[in-house]
Amino acid sequence: MHRWGMVIDLDKCTACQTCVVACLAENNIALIGPEESAKGRTIHWIELVPYIQGEYPHVKVRLIPRPCMHCDHPPCTKVCPVYATYLNEEGIVAQINYRCIGCRYCTTACPYTVKYFNWYEPRWPDEMRGALNRDVSIRTKGVVEKCTFCHHRLLKAREKAKAEGRDLLPEDYVPACVEACPSGAMYFGDLNDPFSTVSQLSRERRAFRLMEDLGTEPKVYYLSEGM
Amino acid sequence: MKLSRRDFLKMGGGIGVGIALGGGFWKWGQPPPSSKLLPPGIEKWVPTVCGQCLGGCGILVRMIDGWATNIIGNPLHPINRGALCPKGIAALQGLYDPDRIRSPLKRIGKRGEGRWQPISWKEAIQEISNQLRELRENGEPHKLVVLGGRYRGLMRLLWERFLEVYGSPNYIDNQFRWDGIPMEGLFLTQGIHTLFTFDFENVKYLLSFSAPLLDSYWFPIHALKAFGQFRRGRTGQRGRLVQIEPRLSITGMKADEWIPIQPGTEGILALGIAHMIIKEGLYDKEFVLKNTFGFENWVDSKEQTHIGFHDFVLSEFPPQRVSSKTGIPIDTIIRLSREFATNQPSLAIGYRDRPFHQMAVWALNGLVGAIDRRGGILIPKSIPFQPFPSPSKDRAARKGLERKRIDEVRESPFGIDQPYLFAKNSISGIPYRPKILFLYYSNPFFSNPCPEFFQRAFDQIPFIVSFSPYMDDTTQYVDLILPDHTPLERWQDDPLFLNNGFPVLGIRQPVTPPIHQTRATGDVLIDLARSLGGEIEKAFPWKDFKEVLLYGLKGIYESRRGDVFGLEYDEAWIRMLQRGGWWDPSYKSFEEFWELLLEKGGWWDPIYEFGERERIYKTPSKKFEFYSQGIKGVLLSSKGEEDSSFLPHWEESVPKEEEKYPFILNIFKTMALDGRNANQPWLQGILGPHLFEKWATWVEINPITASKYDISDGDWVWVESPHGKIKVKARLYQGAMPHVVNIPFGNGHRTGGRWSKKIGENPYRLLGLELDSLTGQPIHGNTRVKIYKA
Repeated sequence: MHRWGMVIDLDKCTACQTCVVACLAENNIALIGPEESAKGRTIHWIELVPYIQGEYPHVKVRLIPRPCMHCDHPPCTKVCPVYATYLNEEGIVAQINYRCIGCRYCTTACPYTVKYFNWYEPRWPDEMRGALNRDVSIRTKGVVEKCTFCHHRLLKAREKAKAEGRDLLPEDYVPACVEACPSGAMYFGDLNDPFSTVSQLSRERRAFRLMEDLGTEPKVYYLSEGM
Repeated sequence: MKLSRRDFLKMGGGIGVGIALGGGFWKWGQPPPSSKLLPPGIEKWVPTVCGQCLGGCGILVRMIDGWATNIIGNPLHPINRGALCPKGIAALQGLYDPDRIRSPLKRIGKRGEGRWQPISWKEAIQEISNQLRELRENGEPHKLVVLGGRYRGLMRLLWERFLEVYGSPNYIDNQFRWDGIPMEGLFLTQGIHTLFTFDFENVKYLLSFSAPLLDSYWFPIHALKAFGQFRRGRTGQRGRLVQIEPRLSITGMKADEWIPIQPGTEGILALGIAHMIIKEGLYDKEFVLKNTFGFENWVDSKEQTHIGFHDFVLSEFPPQRVSSKTGIPIDTIIRLSREFATNQPSLAIGYRDRPFHQMAVWALNGLVGAIDRRGGILIPKSIPFQPFPSPSKDRAARKGLERKRIDEVRESPFGIDQPYLFAKNSISGIPYRPKILFLYYSNPFFSNPCPEFFQRAFDQIPFIVSFSPYMDDTTQYVDLILPDHTPLERWQDDPLFLNNGFPVLGIRQPVTPPIHQTRATGDVLIDLARSLGGEIEKAFPWKDFKEVLLYGLKGIYESRRGDVFGLEYDEAWIRMLQRGGWWDPSYKSFEEFWELLLEKGGWWDPIYEFGERERIYKTPSKKFEFYSQGIKGVLLSSKGEEDSSFLPHWEESVPKEEEKYPFILNIFKTMALDGRNANQPWLQGILGPHLFEKWATWVEINPITASKYDISDGDWVWVESPHGKIKVKARLYQGAMPHVVNIPFGNGHRTGGRWSKKIGENPYRLLGLELDSLTGQPIHGNTRVKIYKA
């Protein structure tokens, strides 16, 4: 069984946000205009989170790309009253938008704040609707959505491998953010395979995870800057 | 096909996902714009070249049912090898922007009022050709001016050809960018006007003087992609980046060290570092001896002695002086000079500062021999397009071409065009006033400092035509709009090169038929020539721009160089063959070549020849010049014989009215918006990640300074300069220097579509018109402002 995970090398990351826009395009994320943005109602399944430390001139700023951590012990699934969010057998924290009742317990429980509530019906101008990704459903008002590790790509890749009568290869399945990264800072793969790139990198000296003390066991690893 | 909710859940472990179901599943808002070439729901990936900025990335556009539904990098394109920057993906929103100009528009109200009458293409072309004919009949063809912006390829030659046979010397290149390519530094030291590249991937120590590497580099993908390699692509060697800049930018955050510097003093710091390198004897003595001119004192043919860079820098730029001007401690200057000189290969890069400041940074590269070497400055070979046959000109054209250019550029030392002088002369009418103005890829009312100046110039021009696909501040002010296709709808060539100097030619092809009643400007130009008739028509024997492209490509086919794009390992194979005098491309005929170009995305020549001195050094001495003899010939009359005028030196711009305007204004650019693309919501949503800023213009203020002025985070404030004021949101930022305030450029369009109009403010409205005497461009970082609560 696979256990999907991601590694983000902050030393190579340029904070360009290609991952952010690639995700918006891939996953039909609603257009959020200036008014709703000002209310903090933006939806970004992956987003750059700033950590500003120190005072001028001794300042250190880190910009950390933060998708869903796909925790092995996710706090969000434990509070969902309708089993709309759960940990699937391959380690992906899934969200069934159509089962969600919009109670937002999970958005509160998630320490990484990666669960997003649809405050209104997502809308696109007529001129743009045809450009939506046909592989991903559109959400409705009042449901929670989140990063799926582009799970629809996994489904497609599996179908394809099956049709070609072969096993799923590591390069068959890559989320949109990892695919687009210009500096090659993002890696994706099977953490259960000890020889996979992600698995090896996750054991590197520079590896760390966000808020490890909470015991959520995230499957997104970071490699710190510097030597 | 219909799915019940239950089916849906069963199918995918239910992660909110529908598999590609194609046609019937969606109820689309409107029928697809093109005829269906593919069966419903079947995807096709069409290779083309992104046109969102000048990076030149190869892209694959995912077409389903005639709609472009996604964009990824073309894995075969050597510039990006499958990667992209955020702008590339947002091209979808540029294509489907609901507020695009949908047909030619004729102004019916007053200028700038925004009342338009849609007209047909036939009428539009008729109208322009009437105007053009009249101008020629009056014997004033030189009064046609084309203001062109940032784009690449044969289109430029086509414009110049049109003007040549029409009889106007006035193609004006309006590429205003402080963060643009520092070309003057290259010209002063190496005598070259064309582009160069930095071989980032092989650099060990990168010293950046406010270069916006990861913020808004001129070819973003080149820097972004190289950064990963620079950091961790080589075993056992991690590249070190030091960012010297007045503001903690993204580049500064990602650098190993950020050194805040007084704005505008980067040049003197470079000279201070040069001073220490020379004093400690750390420079590359062999390179300096063999390949440079003007390092030591020298004697000219009249037996007059001139001071060299060595003595000049030692006497003029001791660390004490440099430290007091820049605010950087002496020990840091000493440390930087030692690090820079001893960590080879090292490279110093700057921004488009004043020419001799650029030259100061370039001189550092000369000291360590970072010219034409791995991890240095490279000069790529050009792409062998077939040149257009020289056109025959009629009497009117020949007479028009004898006239002086309106921006008097032939007298300009760097040979770069001077859009400000064009505006000034249009206002004054000396030497003459333009009568017809074409705007191509140019929006001076927004993206040039002091936009009002251009507006005053435009008031003097009776007939203005814009070719912009979107409504923008300048297009709003014209008489006729002939909307161009967006890049995803047109044919174009994109000649560029890799960081390692390999020439690359991307082919831009339409992924979809035009969505609206727009036409490619290249095709329109050919039509115009045809309707003017005579010699003008004869100079354009092509049916449309695609034929022009094919004509140019013949030269590449016949050059017996390079091959169409292939996998990375093909590179070594092609190189090996060519070195051995062989050439074995994947194609046998021109038709096959063309088909493969469209399929793979382009052509490249994966070879860089080191040591071809005549290509690298085009200076009078055929060497790297610490003492610029090239500029001396031009400037002698105005600047006198003073040697220091031709050596890298520092020109202080004196701060004015410090009591009234206590802050220095620093305008920066972001990855998302560099003047274009504000009509794309995805990019508006990622403007300032370090402060969570989206859809806005903000001003970054040091928190201690802000508390002195009683300004809190998020307050609305006025930023006022002697030239104007704007109301923006104050953001307290530890990465701001206490006496410098920082404002991003990119928003503040006064007109445009629903996503760009009246979002934020344009900081260029705070700038004055103090121009650099050498380049004719506004001077960077000498505007002071005050701030008060709104």
